[in-house]
Amino acid sequence: MDNVVAMVLAGGRVDELLSLTEKRPKSALPIFGIYRIIDFALSNLMHSGIPNAGVLSQYRPYALVRHIGTGEHWDFIGRKRGIRILSPYRGAKASDWYKGTADAVYQNISYIEEFNPEYVLVISADHIYHMNYRQVFQFHVEKKADVTICFTQAKKKTSRFGYGVIDKNDRLVAYQEKPEVPQSNWISMTVYLFKTALLIDCLNTNAREKSHEFGRDIIPRLIQDKRIFGYRFNDYWAYARTIASYYETNMDLLKRKINLDMWQVRTNLSERCGDRDRLPAYIGGHVSNAIISEGCSIRGSVQNSILSPGVFVAPGAEVIGSIIFHDTKIEPRAIVTKVICDKDCHIGEGSVIGGYGDSENSGITLLGKNTIIPPKTVRNAKNVTPSSENRHRQGEEQL
Amino acid sequence: MLLAGGVGSRLNILGRHRAKPAIVFGGIYRIIDFTMSNVANSNIDIVGVLTQYKPLSLMAHLENGRPWDLFGRTRIVEILPPKTGEELSDWYKGTSDAVYQNLGFIEDFSPELVLVVSGDHIYHMNYNELISFHKEKDAEATICLIKVPLKDASQFGLTEIDGKKRIVNWTEKPQDPKTDLASMGVYIFNKDLLVKIVTEVAQRGGVDFAKDVIPVFLARKKVYGFNFSGYWRDVGTIDAYWNANMDMLRENSGLTIEDWKIKTNLSAKGEVGDRPSTYFGRSSKIRNSLIARGCVIEGTVQNSILSPGVKISQNTVVSDSIIFHDTMIHPGSVIEKCIIDKSVTIEDNVRIGEGPSIPNKKFPHHLFTGITVIGKGATIGSHITIGKNCIIEPTALLDKIARKNICSGTTL
Repeated sequence: MDNVVAMVLAGGRVDELLSLTEKRPKSALPIFGIYRIIDFALSNLMHSGIPNAGVLSQYRPYALVRHIGTGEHWDFIGRKRGIRILSPYRGAKASDWYKGTADAVYQNISYIEEFNPEYVLVISADHIYHMNYRQVFQFHVEKKADVTICFTQAKKKTSRFGYGVIDKNDRLVAYQEKPEVPQSNWISMTVYLFKTALLIDCLNTNAREKSHEFGRDIIPRLIQDKRIFGYRFNDYWAYARTIASYYETNMDLLKRKINLDMWQVRTNLSERCGDRDRLPAYIGGHVSNAIISEGCSIRGSVQNSILSPGVFVAPGAEVIGSIIFHDTKIEPRAIVTKVICDKDCHIGEGSVIGGYGDSENSGITLLGKNTIIPPKTVRNAKNVTPSSENRHRQGEEQL
Repeated sequence: MLLAGGVGSRLNILGRHRAKPAIVFGGIYRIIDFTMSNVANSNIDIVGVLTQYKPLSLMAHLENGRPWDLFGRTRIVEILPPKTGEELSDWYKGTSDAVYQNLGFIEDFSPELVLVVSGDHIYHMNYNELISFHKEKDAEATICLIKVPLKDASQFGLTEIDGKKRIVNWTEKPQDPKTDLASMGVYIFNKDLLVKIVTEVAQRGGVDFAKDVIPVFLARKKVYGFNFSGYWRDVGTIDAYWNANMDMLRENSGLTIEDWKIKTNLSAKGEVGDRPSTYFGRSSKIRNSLIARGCVIEGTVQNSILSPGVKISQNTVVSDSIIFHDTMIHPGSVIEKCIIDKSVTIEDNVRIGEGPSIPNKKFPHHLFTGITVIGKGATIGSHITIGKNCIIEPTALLDKIARKNICSGTTL
């Protein structure tokens, strides 16, 4: 795979994720306790033997920059291996904020050309899956394709995706981005393998147009006169574009739908433990069907939940069906139900948070980073989401 | 100069594949992490690690010093193994001989003081306090001292100090101890004098700090004792090792590793992926235990410490035990007061730690408090019962047809 360079689309901020992406791009969102979403894409690249990757990022990239570091955690370090964060820049003619996925790659054509690769793999950093891109590569070569696009079957048809129609020879015959009535069941995984010359050609053409998206602008046009093939992927694939889908994807781990041991995902383990390592998790309370990370101290009860490192659950406190990020402290007798709680929150003694869901909405309560819930707070509203700015008071907002 | 060559023979099979400083402690640490972190946290930037016995896992663990931030142009961890081909080179014949053979390393940095520490102990100390004391006393050498129980005192170098904290008497491991003030194996020396004395000692065949070097310093009457009163354990025996681990689960034991800012090397060599966080199943019951990343727990675990990657199946009960990495325990087993090394497989319905506490017949001084030790990579077949104070050798393959009951005190 030495002749492939990867371009990783990691810049997105999705308003639907509310305060979770207030200070970080979606790709840097913590998941499954110790990972961030981009770890899945980077680990896939590592296991597929792709030596160089450019990460396209523009929305609040600090968390991402720090997480990726030198790239050593995914073995992207060495004379012929590297990872580069490609931020928007100014000064040259073709430079500005990225105006779309295609524009982001277009503005970094010189990064690709530095390696003179035969192929460019464009992937999104926002999806949770385990894939060996070598198989896509092999498929691409066998089919003598100009472009190969990976598709997976939609669990339910929504207009969030790009849908492809693939014929029995695996040829992509139609493609619609976010259609109201999808023509097929196959949704794009945002994994594109291009011949380099064709990609650069497409991007140069696209640059003169008004809209700059791979799915909306580039792919539909290529179908007419190029050999575009659809690679069908049948294993687990998930996304986190909304609070509800983020929550469901986390719960899939508790349902054992995802085998992280087998996926061999890597992450940056040294974040947030600068001056010491975290102890193994201390369990003195009740835990059932739960993922609990190192540095946690559990003296209360934790059920059907996922805890990131350093979470403290005091005696008598209960955490049910929740996702709790790093270093949050839950005081005695607090009850936390179906809550996504960002880092460094403090939930006061005897507070009752979340658990008012009904069928009309997700029923999930979101607490922004650094939220402080005073003791004995009982919220009757559904879907409360204090934003992270309200550090010393209690804010709330309807989802 | 960090002495990390310890054989740890009384730790029996735990030290069979690794030097004592490389033995796992507290789930994710190794014994040497305490000294390495103490050195790094005291802002001592140049560390020579003297290794000799089974150094591979130690070298892999220390890597380039980066886990302790001892990495850069002026922050250095150098592994100093024995070498051949030079005039002064040979296997290290003792602690001071190891330093003698590496005087060149020390002189390269022209330090004012040399700290000699052992990598064998569990403790937290800021060596800067020791250094201030040393300078205040205008000492030539200062030795860290700690009070130990009189019954254990004969295992240590013992001292007496006068009103000015000057060391006036020094006996190495006496049969009949008269004092309980023991040396911690932490020394600070004025460099020029150390070089001179270590060289003289070596030239007349002396090899050991406690036996040969310290008496020479003492004769010059400028050796002081620095009293240390915090938590300190020499985990040189199976029982001491087990107890120090269990101190992590005891309230107010004084062992507070996270507060001490102890760092370790989390990225084990050769691991393809990082271990996911631990999964606790619906049938899991946990009481007072420390459980590292990558475990899957379906059974009961109480008063135990589990390293990464341990699998405990349903209807299995583990109590008062220490289990190293990637060991798997199948359903229906009962494990009590056991130290299980890495990658052991325990099949279903095994019982370990049953019966009377008869001291181990082959090693009565290693195992006599009821702890059974299972060696690295062993397999214990289903329905086997193992008693107390037993030793199961590394990679042993126990089959129930061959023997079903292994009595207390057996070594296999």
